[in-house]
Amino acid sequence: MPGCESGSWRAMTSDEQLILELQQGSDGAFSELFLRYRERVWGFFRRRMNDTGQAEELAQETFLAVLHGAKRYEPRATFRSYLFGIAFNILAASRRKSAHDRTHAAAAAEEMPARSGSNPENVICIRQAVERLEAGEREVLLLREFEELSYEEIAKILYLPVNTVKSRLFRARMALRDILTATPGSLGGRK
Amino acid sequence: MNSSTHPFEQEEVMAYLDGELSANRAASVAAHLRECAECAALAEQMREVSSQLTNWSVEPAPANLTKNLEASRTGHSSVKVKKPNGIAAWLGGKLTPLSGHWAWGVGSAVALALVVLLFTTRRSTTYLQTVPEAQLAYDRPRSRTESKPWVAPASPSHAPHNASQMAAELYSERAQTSENLENDLPASRGSLPTFQRDEPMIARTASVSVMVKDFGPVEASVRAIAQRHNGYIANLNSALPQDAARTLTATLQIPSAQLEAAVTELKQLGRVDQETQSGEEVTKEFTDRATEQRLLDVLREHTGKVKDILEAEQEIARVRGEIEQMEADQRALQTRVDFATVQLAVQEEYKASLQSAPPSTTTRLRNAAVNGYRSLVESVIGIGVFALQALPTLVLWGTVLFLPGRWMWKRFRRTAAPQS
Repeated sequence: MPGCESGSWRAMTSDEQLILELQQGSDGAFSELFLRYRERVWGFFRRRMNDTGQAEELAQETFLAVLHGAKRYEPRATFRSYLFGIAFNILAASRRKSAHDRTHAAAAAEEMPARSGSNPENVICIRQAVERLEAGEREVLLLREFEELSYEEIAKILYLPVNTVKSRLFRARMALRDILTATPGSLGGRK
Repeated sequence: MNSSTHPFEQEEVMAYLDGELSANRAASVAAHLRECAECAALAEQMREVSSQLTNWSVEPAPANLTKNLEASRTGHSSVKVKKPNGIAAWLGGKLTPLSGHWAWGVGSAVALALVVLLFTTRRSTTYLQTVPEAQLAYDRPRSRTESKPWVAPASPSHAPHNASQMAAELYSERAQTSENLENDLPASRGSLPTFQRDEPMIARTASVSVMVKDFGPVEASVRAIAQRHNGYIANLNSALPQDAARTLTATLQIPSAQLEAAVTELKQLGRVDQETQSGEEVTKEFTDRATEQRLLDVLREHTGKVKDILEAEQEIARVRGEIEQMEADQRALQTRVDFATVQLAVQEEYKASLQSAPPSTTTRLRNAAVNGYRSLVESVIGIGVFALQALPTLVLWGTVLFLPGRWMWKRFRRTAAPQS
């Protein structure tokens, strides 16, 4: 991305320091944050949406929201939870606004993401298994497994008590275990 | 598994695996897992679930994400990305009245973007065709290996989308044109500054301080040395005091190749008190100014997609100004490289002399008479000057004080008369 100044010194800078630099108007800080989280934000939306174009659009909106709302960031939480909190809000808003979410979801079942270095069949199994989870449990599971957020961070994003997050995550994992166990070639029937 | 048979809840085992427990609690759970096969199996299953989920990778983020984000940042508007679902899917999802407006909005935005894109492409191409080739030769980096490489945008499209890309293509085109000029027109090299030399560009300077016994022929010798080595004297100052050592300071511009010979001859003028020589590497200065700085500035200062045309024109005007500035700077640097600067300081070995013969009596009398006459004339002139300066004031006060003085005088005489 033009204007990127990701030197070795900036690579050593923490996310929180970078967002503070962004508050001061550092263009290079935003570029560095974008490079660090581009794939993860993209993955956040891509795993939740089957429409790659919409996922790309929402990922873009997320980074724009970070850019324009950087001054509102307060160093009380990690940048990662701040970023995925924005991403989750954008995702929720998109789902609310979209009158065709169900249509897309139905059509998306046939559209699987392209894989890189993974067994497509295995990916399809996992994806379908995750889609069978209850929505609240699925979201907690995804935030934990892919966004690697702590229980407390997930609780803040979803406005849930930490214990609720913990119980939902446990139920999601157990349900996923059951689903994958029932699927040939997954988990080897260990229960 | 329940609390009656296991000291920890299942969720706590999960929290242990997620690193959510305190150190003490984690140590307790770990110890329990070593002893309890059932909990260990549960932990293993959770690890397996997490391991299975790691296989759910998605394709890398599209390159358009970076490009569109950059366009949105500079344009301060969200750029809607194109949906890849095809016309059928698009129509299938857009047949409701509400979404129809949205579809028209997206369609209009895409159409507008295409129009701007095409117009921008034409404008940039037109400009590239009108840039004088003679100017382009100056703008080429000295060495491709020393300059920062230009990384092409991720977009597969060749058409420039904003001011930055236009500037980048402008740079690329100039470099190519410059290369062609050098390959095809070797004769033109003589008329253009040859900044693409392989050796480093060194601006040399020397300083020589010499003490001479015979100061008389020094200036002529210095001029001869400069002329003999095809140089010239940029500055020369002579100080010739009567009762002190005479000095000469000069700044000579000597062709760099003949600097050593010229300095050697200058040192032969007398006894060398001080000599210094130095060389300043100016290659980097040139390279930075000519390539990196300008391109980085261009990349940083672009403002937006919607205003690409106006921005491109401003960029072009700015680049032209920079080219002219670079020409002047490069010529100055080239002069510094071609001609070495020699600072010369020559000082005479001063010998104080005694005046042994006193002046004769006649001379002394004559001098006294002349001095007396001068004093007389000076005193007369002084009195005259004083009279002319003070007379008006004396007349005024005399007139003013005459009557009071006369009255007081008469009164004094009247008072004194009876007594007598």
